[in-house]
Amino acid sequence: MKALTADNLTGLLVEWREGDRAALERLMPLVYDQLRRIAHRYVQRERNDHTLQTSALVNEAYLRLADQNVGWQNRAHFFAVTARVMRHILIDHARRRRYAKHGGDVRQVPIEEAATMSMERAAELIALEEALDELAQLDPRKSRVVELRYFGGLSLEETAEALNISLMTVRRDWRAAKAWLYRRLKETE
Amino acid sequence: MNAERWQEIETVLQDALDRPPLERASFIENVCAGDEELKTEATTLIAAYEEAGDFIEQPAIARDAYVLLSAEAGREIGPYRIIERLGAGGMGEVYLTHDTRLSRLVALKLLPVYFASDETRLRRFQSEARAASALNHPNILTIYEVGESDGVYFIATEFIDGKTIGELMREQKISLAEILDCVEQVASALAVAHAAAIVHRDIKPENIMRRQDGLLKILDFGIARLLEPAKTPDDAAGGRTQTETGLVLGTVNYMSPEQARGLPVDERTDIWSLGVVLYEMLAGRLPFRGATRMDTMVAILDREPARLSEVANGHVRAAPLLQSIVDKCLSKEISGRYRTVSELLADLKTVRHQLTDKAERGIERRWKLTPRSFPRFVSSIVGVVLLLAVAITATLLYRRSARLNAPAATSASAPRAVKLYSQMSESERFQFVAEQEQRISSMMGDRPVKLDDSAVRIIKSFVDYYAARMIGPPDDDSGSMTAVYERAPPYVPLIARSFAARKVPVIIGIYLPVIESGYHRCSESKFGAKGLYQFLPSTAQNYGVSREEMCDPEKMAPAAAHYIADRMAELGEDSQSVTLVLISYNRGAEWVRDSLRQVRGKENYARNFWTLLANREALDDAFRKETANYVPSFFAAAIIGENPEVFGQRVPPLSTLAQQ
Repeated sequence: MKALTADNLTGLLVEWREGDRAALERLMPLVYDQLRRIAHRYVQRERNDHTLQTSALVNEAYLRLADQNVGWQNRAHFFAVTARVMRHILIDHARRRRYAKHGGDVRQVPIEEAATMSMERAAELIALEEALDELAQLDPRKSRVVELRYFGGLSLEETAEALNISLMTVRRDWRAAKAWLYRRLKETE
Repeated sequence: MNAERWQEIETVLQDALDRPPLERASFIENVCAGDEELKTEATTLIAAYEEAGDFIEQPAIARDAYVLLSAEAGREIGPYRIIERLGAGGMGEVYLTHDTRLSRLVALKLLPVYFASDETRLRRFQSEARAASALNHPNILTIYEVGESDGVYFIATEFIDGKTIGELMREQKISLAEILDCVEQVASALAVAHAAAIVHRDIKPENIMRRQDGLLKILDFGIARLLEPAKTPDDAAGGRTQTETGLVLGTVNYMSPEQARGLPVDERTDIWSLGVVLYEMLAGRLPFRGATRMDTMVAILDREPARLSEVANGHVRAAPLLQSIVDKCLSKEISGRYRTVSELLADLKTVRHQLTDKAERGIERRWKLTPRSFPRFVSSIVGVVLLLAVAITATLLYRRSARLNAPAATSASAPRAVKLYSQMSESERFQFVAEQEQRISSMMGDRPVKLDDSAVRIIKSFVDYYAARMIGPPDDDSGSMTAVYERAPPYVPLIARSFAARKVPVIIGIYLPVIESGYHRCSESKFGAKGLYQFLPSTAQNYGVSREEMCDPEKMAPAAAHYIADRMAELGEDSQSVTLVLISYNRGAEWVRDSLRQVRGKENYARNFWTLLANREALDDAFRKETANYVPSFFAAAIIGENPEVFGQRVPPLSTLAQQ
């Protein structure tokens, strides 16, 4: 892991906003690291209730990183990066999970029960990921609304802020995307 | 479908959704007149919407939080591979890691990122940590290495499997004898450090760990100073407790007056802090408390703590000298305190001698007169001595057995009078299983821990079950355990060679096939696993065994040894982890790590399978219903195989065949 300094982090953010995908790749470890640390604390605090409030998580990560004078232009921008990171992490894990079924070190007990993510869940996430990519071809904004809400844990209001669109538009995008994705996943089942 | 068509469809969909559910169908019918495709699209989407319910309404992380947490395992920092996260302190996060060069468990503290970006601080950190690493004392946590890898700065120290004094205080009442023992151990370590001109600066219960054998270890020597921002007296007076990067510093409760004022400190600061710890242990409360950190610091500077006779009268009656020791540690004026830790140590010894004298007299009288606190105190002294004796024996046993990779030869142990298991009473059976579990543990290279009765009962239920299957003719296919044990001997020498070559305790290799395949050299399970050790074809392939070779013990035994060696490397080899390796054979290392994390902090936590078993209610269904039995059944198999005569078997103890 390469240590990021505040200076080149700001640079990366600008590059990413200007469309450099490689910049995002380099931003991820930092955001990921923060999310992980915070997630740890939440899980410890809520030992008996393992559901994490993503929104709280993301907001805290933002406060911490912003506090380091990192130069996040605005919250919305940060949320977009976080949602992308979360999506990346979960899909990556789901893919490895599915791969494990075919070649991993499993015996006796079905692997489905043996891990942090069930096979069923992994398949669901991968199917969703593929559907989301298809939706992006058809209607990029709806795909981003879903990414921000589902992977980034943002509320409708925060999503509106992040995409700089009205709350009404977010609501409509969300319900249409939900219907479209649900039907798409039903088809592939 | 293209984007334009989708827009058309969406318009219909949105308009339909704006209408009450019952009107939607007729609306679509009207709008889509003549465009069957549009109608179908809109109708199916509406149906999907109405059926979707809370689909994707809950953010993914609510279900998958642990993915975020588990992904760090396996990350490598220099030669250290992360096994699991132990906790976080002011100085960054601490991980349990496996040192791949020396094959040992190491606690790795990673410094926060902001740290590395501050050159001055980094240099100071390195020089201080190196100075501290030169300290050599049994009560000081050994620092192995201070280093950097790819921009990550870390301190590698010995791994202590134990609890902090803070945790112990919260969990249980600590006896006076234990308090004295604890403070003496800390003081003797401080004496060595002070002689080397190193001041700890942050003595507090959370920085003192007690290993399971009772040995204390002081953590974070000489490192506290690095956390302090370069502060001015103004800041200190303002009670500033945050560094410039927003990191909240630890507690102020143990801070000395000179630290609170931001003045220079010397070894007498440690004496103050140790005095606070002593007071807290005796009284069960802090000497200086305030509603806020600021209030606490004011109390440290201005107030006198409550007399021990008011808050800890039992202890003070037992040892009046304690009050003056505490007073001398907690003198606001530096000059009023003990000048050196050695002076404090001398006073502590005096107290202990007084108590021992009293205790001896007390033992003579204990059945006649019983001042309330007295017998408890006596019994606790006796308890400590006994514990110590047990701990020493256990440690010696562990050291010996850990070095022996081959199983302990039964011929070396005293001949036992054989009483058949079937003739034992229930309590004798229980006793037998409990003793044998300890023996098998040490043969596995684990330091035996006393199991609670329910764990012993679970093992015993398997022994009972197997024993019942011993009776009857050794018919090959009836599932007779006699047949299983009679099939085993020819394979043992091969297994022993394979496992010894990978430095895996041979006893694991001998008894896994009993519970996995019943020593059928090719037993196929419903999951397609087969062989003596039940590999899936894909796993076997990863370990160099082709599908056709899976029934060949010559191939499978080395592969199994290799596989287990990898799990040991992954989960770490320490005094109690072999049971974790066993369960990982069944459920994978990732599950083991996650489950340990879930039960960490529970009462009597130890990094072993028995902790998981004791807390199974907190774990998943599959474990409770099925795999929780895996390790107990392994122990049952080993108990029978190592004591065949007790079960009326004619084979020798299987491990004795390993040396042929």
